[in-house]
Amino acid sequence: MELEASFLTIAWFIALGILLPVVALTVGKWLRPNKPSSRKAITYESGVDPTGEGWVQFHVRYYLFALLFVIFDVETIFLYPWAVAYDSLRATLGIWVLYEMLIFIGLLVLGLAYAWKKKVLKWE
Amino acid sequence: MEITGEFIAFFILSILAICGAVFMIFFTNVVHMGVSMAFTFLSIAGIYFLLNADFLAVIQIMVYTGAISILMLFGIMMTRHKETEEKLNRPIHYGLSIAGAGVLLVSLVLLSRGATFVSDAVDTKGYGIEKIGELFFGTYMIPFELASILLLVALIGSIIIAKKEGQE
Amino acid sequence: MDLFFYLGPIILMLLLLGFVTYAILFERKVIGWIQNRPGPNQVGPWGLFQTIADVAKLLLKEDIVPGKADRALFKLAPIIAFVPAFAILAVIPFTESWQFGDFAVGLLYYIAISSITIIGILTGAWASNNKYSLLGGMRSAAQMISYEIPLVLSVVGIVMTTGSLDLNDIVLAQKKVWFIVPQFLAFLIFLIASLAELNRTPFDLPEAESELVAGYHVEYTGFRFAFFMLAEYVYVFAMASLTTCLFLGGWLPLFGLTMIPGILWFLLKFSLVVFSLFWIRATMPRLRVDQLMQFAWKVLLPLSLLNIFLTAIFKEIPVLSSFY
Repeated sequence: MELEASFLTIAWFIALGILLPVVALTVGKWLRPNKPSSRKAITYESGVDPTGEGWVQFHVRYYLFALLFVIFDVETIFLYPWAVAYDSLRATLGIWVLYEMLIFIGLLVLGLAYAWKKKVLKWE
Repeated sequence: MEITGEFIAFFILSILAICGAVFMIFFTNVVHMGVSMAFTFLSIAGIYFLLNADFLAVIQIMVYTGAISILMLFGIMMTRHKETEEKLNRPIHYGLSIAGAGVLLVSLVLLSRGATFVSDAVDTKGYGIEKIGELFFGTYMIPFELASILLLVALIGSIIIAKKEGQE
Repeated sequence: MDLFFYLGPIILMLLLLGFVTYAILFERKVIGWIQNRPGPNQVGPWGLFQTIADVAKLLLKEDIVPGKADRALFKLAPIIAFVPAFAILAVIPFTESWQFGDFAVGLLYYIAISSITIIGILTGAWASNNKYSLLGGMRSAAQMISYEIPLVLSVVGIVMTTGSLDLNDIVLAQKKVWFIVPQFLAFLIFLIASLAELNRTPFDLPEAESELVAGYHVEYTGFRFAFFMLAEYVYVFAMASLTTCLFLGGWLPLFGLTMIPGILWFLLKFSLVVFSLFWIRATMPRLRVDQLMQFAWKVLLPLSLLNIFLTAIFKEIPVLSSFY
């Protein structure tokens, strides 16, 4: 079985996408100066000597947004096959196909409302 | 065995996937682990694409590479991520894991020998996203609605846990 | 395998580099014009060589890796950020004949691949081991994931009308009327969410110079920095092309003016979108972080869900249903 043309196209695009930075950075290496010094290697903090640790710990709210994102990402993935097949489903199943999605989204909106009420969506 | 373009592509993609997984195990820095895991997810999406399962490949990238990996990285940023994990020396754990992996391998090999595979090339063109949609909302309507309850429970549960952790 | 298959993407890449060079100049000129100042005008006539000089300068700058940085990831991150930016262009139909792959799931491919860039930004920010860059990277990632949901949901209405994820079919479905008319709400949501995805003003918080120095690429110098910038402008190109295809009828002519070739129509609409992006940047002030995140979840997400049901309802109304 031969490879799909679309697969090859994407592979070629990705290969070119890797090639450009690699070639440009290699050419740059020949052209640019390289005089490292310990002062240059200091972490930049608006000109003053850096204080404390660079790898700071983040608040849990970032994580909560990522969680919400994962859940709603999965939801959108369910929505796409529904949207593509909507017309044919409408013809066979009738308006019931809309109610199905209303129930599905309604439950998730409930979750969103819960997050809203618990002030997860608030960014202090 | 005939060497075709498909074979080469499959070979490269599986090597990439396996490398990502192996690196994920052997890196000591959690962020490195996260990135190599994302890489494995991406290579597996490539294999799906190779099998003409375009929609599955795209979902794999959207959910696993784009969302789960970000979730992991955010989780790492929330905890202490400056230290590298020490290599623990626990021989019993190693022994058990190797034994477990061995049992899994043997059972997989036995199962695959017993199974019958469809040897003819299946025309995958008819199994596009529209077909998935029709099956989902026709035949498999109940599991689909249950999935939304599962998602809702996951959402509320994670909010409760995170809120409790945040207060402490 | 024909010649176009191999050469096409290379030509596209060269065109893209040309586009980015002059888009930056155009952006500075437009902003200068709106703010009543000349903009770049020293290098070459009308400042035409300004960006070329800037790129040459970046190429000749020393590549500094901070001592505390994670060297391997620091070097890899710009590439992770750039590759998906270029790879998404494989699905954009520029004209009826000028397109690379005819993908059945083109729209989702675009969305999926573009989400990989967040990982590049996040790893670059983390690998720098700098407070500002990590803060900028995390803000950027949080913003991009929050706005990705309304962006993806706003397009569902169009998918319901066309019954396809193939961008080609979506363009051809607009022969009667462009989707900007029946899907106007979706267009507004899409435009706002795409501005946020592109990290552009008024959503440029990750790079807010006044509070975060420069965002996730503070520690980057020379050409590595250039690749982050390039990725950003390639996304401008891609997003403007996608907007053209989804809402403005792609290469389809207006008023039946078929003697003007499709590529010109595409370029015209595309330039209009790019200009509006620059216009918005020059006009709007920056949002506050708390407003930004709430807006995505509390306003745009419910609105985009509403749009889906509005589309479903309009499909039932006798006269209107021909447009949906």
